[in-house]
Amino acid sequence: MYKAVVIGGSAGSFQVITKILNSLPKNFPLPILLSLHRLKHVRSGFVEALSIKSNIPIVEPYDKETIKPGKGYLAPSNYHMFIELNKRIALSTEEPVNHSRPSIDLTFETASQAYRDKLIGIILSGANRDGAYGLKKLKQAGGVAIVQDPKECQVKTMTEASLKLTNVDHIFTTEQIINFLLKIK
Amino acid sequence: MNRYELGIVDTRNIIKTLQDVYNYDFKNYALTFFKRRVEKFIINQNLKDADGFVSKIKAEKDFFEVFLQNINVGTTEMFRDPSLWRVLKEEIFPQNIKDSTSFKIWFPEVTTGEELFSTAIILKKLNLLKNVKFVASSISELDIENTKKGLLDPKKLEVNDANYKRIFNEGKLSDFFTQEGDQAFWDTSLIENTKFIKQNIIFDDYPKGIKLVLFRNQMIYYNQILQERYTKISYNGLVSGGHLIIGNNEIIDYWNSDKDFTLINKEENIYKKKLS
Repeated sequence: MYKAVVIGGSAGSFQVITKILNSLPKNFPLPILLSLHRLKHVRSGFVEALSIKSNIPIVEPYDKETIKPGKGYLAPSNYHMFIELNKRIALSTEEPVNHSRPSIDLTFETASQAYRDKLIGIILSGANRDGAYGLKKLKQAGGVAIVQDPKECQVKTMTEASLKLTNVDHIFTTEQIINFLLKIK
Repeated sequence: MNRYELGIVDTRNIIKTLQDVYNYDFKNYALTFFKRRVEKFIINQNLKDADGFVSKIKAEKDFFEVFLQNINVGTTEMFRDPSLWRVLKEEIFPQNIKDSTSFKIWFPEVTTGEELFSTAIILKKLNLLKNVKFVASSISELDIENTKKGLLDPKKLEVNDANYKRIFNEGKLSDFFTQEGDQAFWDTSLIENTKFIKQNIIFDDYPKGIKLVLFRNQMIYYNQILQERYTKISYNGLVSGGHLIIGNNEIIDYWNSDKDFTLINKEENIYKKKLS
């Protein structure tokens, strides 16, 4: 069975994420790892905004925090968020990748190493190519690769870049993503 | 993107080599971090693979120093997290340094020097710099040399300047550095009261009588064993009532750590050593 969900998003993804979080039940069985592009000098407000509509708790994790099911972990602003093999969060201020810190690629890649084929990866709307390489690594490790339907995206660049690089498992609308996640036991 | 992937056996072998040849013990660095950093180094230095790395490192001491500089993660910018620097400028520094003649501030891993220069600039503007002594240690001799020279990454000027304006309403950051071609250098008189120490990873020797330790976003590259060791070293270096500031998303959480430190500012992660 699956062990974790990792989601990457940038411009135009906020409403999609809140909709997903709003639809998941309180006892959702997996952790959700969120690597979202955000303003780097605005530290507070984002996790609170996501929490308002979410039934599961959303946190900006501490370095080396243990990942637990039924909880959302949002990459803090101006940090990369990695997943260690022992299922802990590791934060980093190493140089930006694709001009991004947090880098979606790095979260996806390390999550794939930690969870192998027990991982679900979802790339949402966004204005750059970050995430495409990470989703490819996820698929290579045996995970389920999902991309938001570009037709539905406010900004298509990120989803289209992902589709170009990877033969994904599903191209889903927000509704379909939610239905897929709700079937997970 | 050029990639090279290091196996776990190779990684362990590299850690053992560095321990045996140079007595630098990286075993308690966060393993995935260390592995990633070495992989990057192998590619950037055209070393081909782990064997290439090991033989060159063994043969050349200077090359080992280049490696140490590359393992270190530079500070991203001046005044990273401006709200912390405002608290230092408006509360911590004026309240604690005004009546002191040798207020000692320690930077256990100074890397590219931004935390040191940020502190010095604020103190200079508060007219408190003369009351302060800095101690700056690093595992990297090259980082220490560059910091001493005041070397400043010109790519960061824009973000540095933006952060400065989030703290000060007047003056400008360029009052404190000069540009020569595409190089930029801090005014090194800001750090003339600094003692630099080349430090081994295990810190057998550390400064004492410290009033403030600034140790942000460096312990995230260690595992919990080394994090605890460094926190306790900071504790031992601090005077009672001294402050320890760590990164926003770090936590002091070892067994009985609440007997050692009180968290006095949760937003900015400022801890205070308890009276002993």
